[in-house]
Parts: sequence; C-alpha cells; structure tokens
Amino acid sequence: MSDASLEIVRPALPKAARYALAIGACALVTLITLPFRDMLDLANAVMLFLLVVFLVALKLGRGPAVLAAFLSVALFDFFLVPPHFTFAVNDVLYLITFAVMLAIGLLTTELTANLQEEAERVRHHEQETRDLYELARSLTGAATLLQVTEAMQAYLVRSGFRARLFLLDNARKLDTQGCSVLEKQLLNLAMANAEMVTGESETASAPPLFLPLQAPMCVRGVMAVYPETTTLSPSGNRREFFMTLASLIAIAVERLHYVEVAQRTQIQMSAEKLRSSVLSTLSHDLRTPLTTLVGLADTLAETPELPASARDNASLIRDQSQSMCNLLTNLLDMARLQSGKVTLRREWQLFEDAISASLHLLKPSLGARPLVVELQKNLPLVEFDAVLIERVLCNLIENAAKYSGTTQPIEIRAFVEESEACIAVCDHGSGFPAGQIDHLFELFERGEAESAKPGVGLGLAICKAIVEAHGGRIHAVNQATGGACVTVRLPLGEAPVIEEEEEHG
Amino acid sequence: MADSPINILLIEDEPHIRRFVRGALEGQGWKVVEAETGQRGLIDAGTRRPDLLVLDLGLPDMDGVELIRDFRSWSEAPVLILSARSDETDKIEALDAGADDYLTKPFGVGELVARVRALIRRHIRQQEASPTIAFGQIAVDFSRREVLRNGEPVHLTPIEYRLLTALIASQGKVITHRSLMREVWGPNHSESNHYLRIYMSRLRQKIEVDPAQPLHLLTISGVGYRFQP
Repeated sequence: MSDASLEIVRPALPKAARYALAIGACALVTLITLPFRDMLDLANAVMLFLLVVFLVALKLGRGPAVLAAFLSVALFDFFLVPPHFTFAVNDVLYLITFAVMLAIGLLTTELTANLQEEAERVRHHEQETRDLYELARSLTGAATLLQVTEAMQAYLVRSGFRARLFLLDNARKLDTQGCSVLEKQLLNLAMANAEMVTGESETASAPPLFLPLQAPMCVRGVMAVYPETTTLSPSGNRREFFMTLASLIAIAVERLHYVEVAQRTQIQMSAEKLRSSVLSTLSHDLRTPLTTLVGLADTLAETPELPASARDNASLIRDQSQSMCNLLTNLLDMARLQSGKVTLRREWQLFEDAISASLHLLKPSLGARPLVVELQKNLPLVEFDAVLIERVLCNLIENAAKYSGTTQPIEIRAFVEESEACIAVCDHGSGFPAGQIDHLFELFERGEAESAKPGVGLGLAICKAIVEAHGGRIHAVNQATGGACVTVRLPLGEAPVIEEEEEHG
Repeated sequence: MADSPINILLIEDEPHIRRFVRGALEGQGWKVVEAETGQRGLIDAGTRRPDLLVLDLGLPDMDGVELIRDFRSWSEAPVLILSARSDETDKIEALDAGADDYLTKPFGVGELVARVRALIRRHIRQQEASPTIAFGQIAVDFSRREVLRNGEPVHLTPIEYRLLTALIASQGKVITHRSLMREVWGPNHSESNHYLRIYMSRLRQKIEVDPAQPLHLLTISGVGYRFQP
C-alpha cells in the first residue's frame, strides 16, 4: 500500500534522483559550512546537518533521509571535526556527538517520514473515496451498459489497470466471445462459484483477475481486470479495491437489467391492452350492424302483407347475417385464445348442463333432426368453463349437422374413461376424408377443400384451443359403421365432496 | 294493467336497432318511448314510469349496470338487457343488479317479443300470486307442498323442493347461480355452486321427460338457469 501510494504521489521523482538529491543536500551543507569551520561552533554545524536531514525526510522520504543521516555524520566527521580530512577523532567525546547526531537524525527521519506517510495515506484514501464516489455517481446515472463500461474505464485509467465486463446473455450464459479457451474456463469458474479467480499471465505482466459481479439477486456476470500500464498484480494488495468496484458495477448492471425488464413488461402490457381493446371494439362495431341486419330482415320475414318470395328472401338475409355473426364470434374467440389471454372461469359442474345448453341453443338450426343423447349414470363433477365448453359442443354438433344428412341422427355421449371425462359427438355422414384427420384441428383446415358448405375451418381449431386450455385433448376418428366421431377428453381432477342433506319428513 | 297499453322504455344508442326493436314491440300493441342515452333514459324512466325497460348494456355515456341499480332503487318494473358483449361476467353483474333477462345481439324479432311477453306476464302474475302452477306433466300445489307428475306424487327432498319453488318464482327471468344459491342454501353458500349443479340434475331427473334435453329447467351456461313453463 505504501509503495503504491508513494509512487502515485511522486511520479516525477524516481528513487535514484531522490537519493542523489539527498547526497547533494548533504554535500551542499558541507560546502557551505567548510569555509566557516574555524569560526563556527561545531554544535551549530551539527544543527545545520540535522536540519538537512529533517528537510530531506520531509521532502524526499524515508530512504534518502536515512542515507542523509549517515552521510551527515560521516561528512561532519570527515570535514569538520578535527583533525580534518580524516575519520579519526582527537577527542573520544566526539563519538558521543556522532552517536547522538545519528540517533537524532534517524529519529527525525522516522517521525517525519511516518507523519508524511500518514498524511499521504489520508490524502490517497480521500482521493480513492472521491473517485469511488464519482464512479458510484456515474454508475447510478448510467442508462446503458456502455455507460457503465465507460464509467468503469474512466475510474480505472489512473490506476493503470484495464477491465472488461462479461455479462449473461438471454440464455443466462456468460457471453465470452473472443476469449481464449483458458479465459473462458476461468470466467465460467468465477461465474459458477461466485468467487474471485486469478488467471495466468501470458507475458511478463501480472496475471489478470476475474471477479464475479455479485448483485443482490444473483451473479450478473464477471469482471476481468488486466494490468495495463502497471506491473502490479491486480490480485495483490488491490484485491479489496477491485471487489468494491465489482460490487458497485454488479448493482448497476442489475439495476439496468430490471429497468429493461420493467420496460419490456410495460410494452407488453400496453400491446396486450391495445389488442384486447381492438378486439372488443371490433366485436362491438361489427356486431351492431349485424344486429340491425338480423332484426330488420326478421321484421320483414314476419310481415304477412309481403309476398311469400320476399319473406323467404328476408329470412335468408336474416340467416346469413346470423351465420356471419357466428363466424365473427369464432374469429374473435380464436384471436383471444391465440393471444393466450383467455382466463378460464372454471367451475365444478356436470357435462349434462353443457350438453343440454348447447342443444337448446342449436334447437332453431337443428330443427327436427334426430338427436341421441347418452349420459353414463352418475357422471362425476368436472371442472371446466361452461361457456367455452358449450362453444366446443356447439361447434362439434353444428359440424356434425353440416356434414351429414338432415335425417341422419347425431349422437352425443358423455362417459368416463381412464380418469378422463369424455364427450363424443358422432354423426352418420360421410366421415372425414382419409389422410386429413391429423390436420383437422389446424387453423383453416377443412374436410373438403373447396365445398359449398359454410365455415372457414375455424371451428375445430377453436375446439382444440379451448380443450387444451383446459388441460384436455380432442381427437377425431371415422367410425367403422360410417360417419365421423370427435371426442373431447378433460382430466377428472379431485371433485369437491357433496354432503347429502338430511331428510326429515 | 291489461286494459291500459303496456308502456315500454327503450334505451339504446344505435338508431337502427331502436327502429326495429320499436317496430317489433309496437306490432304487439305496446307503447314504446325511446331514449338515446343513459342520462336521458333515467329521466324518462322517472317521468313516464314505464311498465318495462329494454336497455342496451353498452351505452356510451354511462354504465348500464349503474343505470339498472338506479332504476331498481325505485321501480319494480322488469328490465330486459340487450348485450353485444359475449362476456358472461357483464351479464351476471347486470342480472345481480336487478335485471330480469337478457338478449345477446344479434337477436330475432320473435325472440325479443317472446322475452318481453314473458316478463310482462311474470310481472302481472307476481301481483296476483297463484297457489298452484302446472307445466308439462307437472302440477305444483304450493299450499300443500305437493308436486304431481301425471297425477302421481313425486317425492322431492326439502332442498329439491326449495330449488323448484325458487325457479318457479323467478319464472320468465334468468336467475344467476349466486342468487339461486342464496335463495335455496342461504347466504353462506354462495360460493359452492357445485351443489346447485348436482341438485339441479336430480331435480331434472324427477321433473323432466328427457333430463338430457330439458324443456322447463334450462341451463344458461356461465350465467344461471331459467324456468320455462
């Protein structure tokens, strides 16, 4: 630490120069005192030398000052203490002077240097804190990862290190593009263990250091620190420093991550809102004119004063408008189902309710067609959305009616098979064309490619979407006796218990 | 009431729909007053005291459900809802707020007239409550708590009987699961709808000729039930 700090504070004065300066200062004071050595009391000369030692300690640091202390004693002895120009002394008492002089010199050096170093350390510390504060401020303001990287580089530039961030990509893997195999391994090691890893130096420079970016929620990536203009190792006594840096950056990266998540969610939400408002506006705006059409055509069809042909035409308009409306309902429902935003209103209920409701709804269009409804005895409660399953049944029964003769019966059976509650809708028509059964439930598939029968093949796709939203499945077969059969299977689940009432009287 | 013509207030923002609805209702000899907005409708309802309200749930100026609540606070007249929304929650909310029945757009004129007639009939019957009712093969005598099928007594459990009478009492209107639960099982059971399904199924076994294709106890998916004599 002291080494590094001194180096930072006095980059202008290399070691050798400082020592030379110390020697020069001692020589100078010797030269100055030499002409006056007879007039000058030796004690004053000692003071001068001590002053020099003190100044050297103050300005040049500990090493030069120690040298100056010894040199002063030697020069004082050699030039000023009689006999001159020899280290020998006349009076043994001078040895005490030397010893005291040396002791005071060294002591002064020690005290001054300590004080200096302490001041230096405080100054350095303050600088570091200020830098860190600056870094934290720019990291807090950073709106992009690039800004985070820039702030980090700006912070490191003075210390002679260079850092690079490796962050998690969308697959939550460390993005290690352009790294050597060894580097990749070390990066992943730091990531996986959330621990600092020291690399191996490639050249004469110190080895790089890999620090995990440990954010409050998780490890967000790894910061690699390489020495750039310094020979110091980042894993040396600067370890703490880099750890602080790493945790600051980790927090910034995590903050950016959540900003992004929040933005994405917001965009998604507004897109979803737009979609559903478009759907409901469409639904309203298309249904309103259709309602008028159906209503007015129906009025005409029921007007006895009109000729029969006109009334027939009017009822045709009414029926066509009605089926257009059904088509619209199917389209909008499919759009809703495909956006995955349909919330099922599931309740425990009986299939018979759904079947009877569908048959009641279809009564006008089914007319006198024979229907066979077979309900297995004691069918359990099944959890489903009544409106949606009713839609499924209506679509299936309408299909059955569409693809079979008007006198052929439609069969509806409800039963339990292998922990699934099933409803089968079967007809005695021509059945599905062979080879198309597998594609029946795909959007816009139809049994007959170009037929006069209405519908765009949405019906079965919607059935599939609804049944699958219930966690069930739907499949179609051609019966051996002719005709098609579509079976809906819903999981049984744990039906709630019904407490029987106590009958009294 | 049968002597003076029935007054109907029609609140609907679409002029074309108003036109054919009005035509259909006037064709039955009923008097129709139109209102274009909810605010106007509420004022008309206050001044004209209609015998029946036909209300579009999707009014641009106010929430239809609010309007029903407001109207219900001072009037007993039946309310028929016209709803373009296929979302059942809106209908349930409107029915629970006091509406009696609903029609989903588009609807035929015959259907409209039938619903309005059923509501008017129900309203009249409410004022002169009868101790007996007969429908299909069934005859119910409320004073003796007796249900006969083709003249033979049918045994109903207390809950089944309460369910039947609740349905008959709401004849001509849609009754939501919630209000039926409350009426038959009491206020604490309004969340256990599956009881309702089971008892309704049992009741159908005893009342209907073909329980799989009921004629009287009709299911309105996602909303509730309707009793049809």
